[in-house]
Amino acid sequence: MLETLELDGKTVIVTGGGRGLGRAMAKALAEAGAHVVVAARTPDQLDQTVKEIADAGGEAYSVRTDVTDPEQVNALVEAAVQHYGRLDAMFANAGGGGGTNAEFWEYPDWAFEEVLATNLKSAFYSGRAAAKQFVAQGTGGVIVNTSSGTALRGNRNFAYPTAKGGVISLTKSEATMLWGHGIRANVIVPGFVSQAPPRDERDAEFRKQRGQFIPVRRLGEWWELGPLAVFLASDASRYITGAEFIIDGGGLAGGLGPVGFEPHHEW
Amino acid sequence: MPKASHFDLSGKKAMVVGVESPAAAAIARAYGEAGADVALCTLEADESVVAARRLAKEIERLGRRAAVYTMDVKLGRNVQVTTRQVAKELGGLDIVCSAADRFLAKPITKITDTELATVLRLNFSSHFFVVRSALGEMQKGGVGGRIVVLTQVLGERGLPNTSAYSAAHGATYNLVRAVAQEVAHEGISINGIALGWMEWHADRIAPDDEQAQRATRFPIMKRMGTADEVGPLAVYLSGTGVGYVTGQIFPVDGGLLQHL
Repeated sequence: MLETLELDGKTVIVTGGGRGLGRAMAKALAEAGAHVVVAARTPDQLDQTVKEIADAGGEAYSVRTDVTDPEQVNALVEAAVQHYGRLDAMFANAGGGGGTNAEFWEYPDWAFEEVLATNLKSAFYSGRAAAKQFVAQGTGGVIVNTSSGTALRGNRNFAYPTAKGGVISLTKSEATMLWGHGIRANVIVPGFVSQAPPRDERDAEFRKQRGQFIPVRRLGEWWELGPLAVFLASDASRYITGAEFIIDGGGLAGGLGPVGFEPHHEW
Repeated sequence: MPKASHFDLSGKKAMVVGVESPAAAAIARAYGEAGADVALCTLEADESVVAARRLAKEIERLGRRAAVYTMDVKLGRNVQVTTRQVAKELGGLDIVCSAADRFLAKPITKITDTELATVLRLNFSSHFFVVRSALGEMQKGGVGGRIVVLTQVLGERGLPNTSAYSAAHGATYNLVRAVAQEVAHEGISINGIALGWMEWHADRIAPDDEQAQRATRFPIMKRMGTADEVGPLAVYLSGTGVGYVTGQIFPVDGGLLQHL
């Protein structure tokens, strides 16, 4: 059974791989044997991810990419294929905040466009470029998008969850449209997950406090995305498509009251 | 613009089971206001019968017929007998609202077999029995019908100490969905109303429990719901405007399920 998790000889792209969850996924995928093409905007961060993978004995290559530009995303897939000869999985993970704190009725077009471009259009561009390559190869392939737990609930900071909600819908449609070509598409929905180890004692204490609002009583940690990424990229998940994988310490399964609300009513 | 006639239940025969619940009483009153004759079923033959009689008088003052029954929802046979009697005495059965509810909250390791069985019987099996018997009467009529099941948002979310209760309501959610598939072609629609934190929920929102009081700020509207806020949805789901609406659970929860 465990051999189905091996990614030996497979090529995987991870966008947003310069830090945080993307870097954690890239490292785990490399550890499982994949050739990892790391994409992000910031060269220093890309270099660091590649170095960490290489130091652990893995194989990685970086392509500086702005995922809001479809030309650059297409070029990313071309570069990956040129470097490793093929593509097997696309982790459309890049995304982030942006926007403004303006009231909804005053929210500017540019801010909404910016958040959609970073979080939703980027996933479309990445999925499209990867699917084109998968179909051309005739090998099938895997698309894994990264959404957010905020997508499943309302939020004051509305643009980001709106875009991330679109990512979930996009995933289901990708799964529906592409299964005939052997392409699977799934979406990871992280809750509150730390991007890196705490900077100092104060940061650690802050995280500990935040964690008290989550059923498991702690924040998630970056590396915990790794095993899920490997599972979804591998043949271990070959009958799974269009699915949401929530990794949130139990928050979304509850949320009807504060953590610690435990009614008692006996007869 | 929706026609108000879709909310007009004049001449319809309705049965509401579990009128001890303020929400069910509000639904019965709303049915009466919308023009229906209403059978009010209490779960026990105790002081709730007195309250139900008062409600019946109120509905009669609107010019409708109203009658009080006691329905032991713990046994399917009893539910069937009472439902038949109601249909016979009202002259048919067009609308049924099933609203039995009994809360239990304790750690799963402390819940006895008997308690589990009782929770499932009152919060799930009761709906199964009522729906089954209602369908029997509606199918006799052959002119369709409307069923509304009152459930709780705990049917789709977890909360500590509510394992048995939440599971029972989860089962009720899927009862609605499955039965909808089964009877849709007969012109019978069945939908659910899921309640969030309501003003009478002292059994779960204890006044002296600080965390429970914080929970009442979790709905988007930052308050608990009132019984009067449930009636209109039940009337909509029992009218002629929902021929294409079935198998759905609609929350009346002030946005509780949407809270992050």
